[in-house]
Amino acid sequence: MDIEDKMIETTKEIFSSMVMMEIDVKRIMDDCGPLSNTITGMVGLAGTHKGILAIHVPYPVAMAITGSFLGMDVEEINADVHDAIGELANMLGGNVKTILSENGRDIELSLPSTISGSDYTFQLDKEVDKVIIEFDTGQGVFMVEMELEK
Amino acid sequence: MGKNVLLVDDSSTMRKIVGRSLRQAGIEFDNIFEAADGIEALEILEKEKVDIVLSDINMPNMDGISFLREKATRDNMKGIPVLMISTETGDDIIGEAKALGAVGAIKKPFTPDKVNEVLGPLL
Repeated sequence: MDIEDKMIETTKEIFSSMVMMEIDVKRIMDDCGPLSNTITGMVGLAGTHKGILAIHVPYPVAMAITGSFLGMDVEEINADVHDAIGELANMLGGNVKTILSENGRDIELSLPSTISGSDYTFQLDKEVDKVIIEFDTGQGVFMVEMELEK
Repeated sequence: MGKNVLLVDDSSTMRKIVGRSLRQAGIEFDNIFEAADGIEALEILEKEKVDIVLSDINMPNMDGISFLREKATRDNMKGIPVLMISTETGDDIIGEAKALGAVGAIKKPFTPDKVNEVLGPLL
């Protein structure tokens, strides 16, 4: 199983067991392009593998995910949404670390952070290998992206 | 007298999810205390009667490993069991946590059944 398959398996497991949402892979992408009305949660990886793991979620999907995560109605992009999307990035990063790390100590994870906005792009300056997977929640799509320094 | 639990995680979402999972697993506590990092957790343990701590590892200010290390130096809280709940479940990290007194670990993501399986025997 390659890293792409493992990211798909991990993302589906997180959504099924924690968010209480079943998701499907919609497509594999080369570039996530400009993001609009979206919130991005991310964690950095440092050590034997350097890069970033991010989840890009359009506002309506982010509110639906947070509502399902917390079991309550969410009608605006508030602190709960930022916290929930950041925690999703944290869980994805932790599981990707487990996939990439040989002993658990050779890769360090940053604390999760989030950004959001009406129009922005997301890219590293360095030469990177990218894996971008678009998932369908039934209430809209979101993307999981991993960029690792070559 | 009922039992009290302390949930330690910098994510308020995750603290709510853990609390929900406890209820779904049929594990009832009289009081659920919450802390956002190891420093807040130590402050609560100084003031409240806590029967078990469920703690994340990767947190700002004082992470889960540093929390265990500091807790082990305080006689009044040495005996309170700590179960780690974290994405960080590599053998080295969990080995270090157990050496500092952690009684086990649950990997995120988790299900209520998993929480019951690991936490149930500790209560």
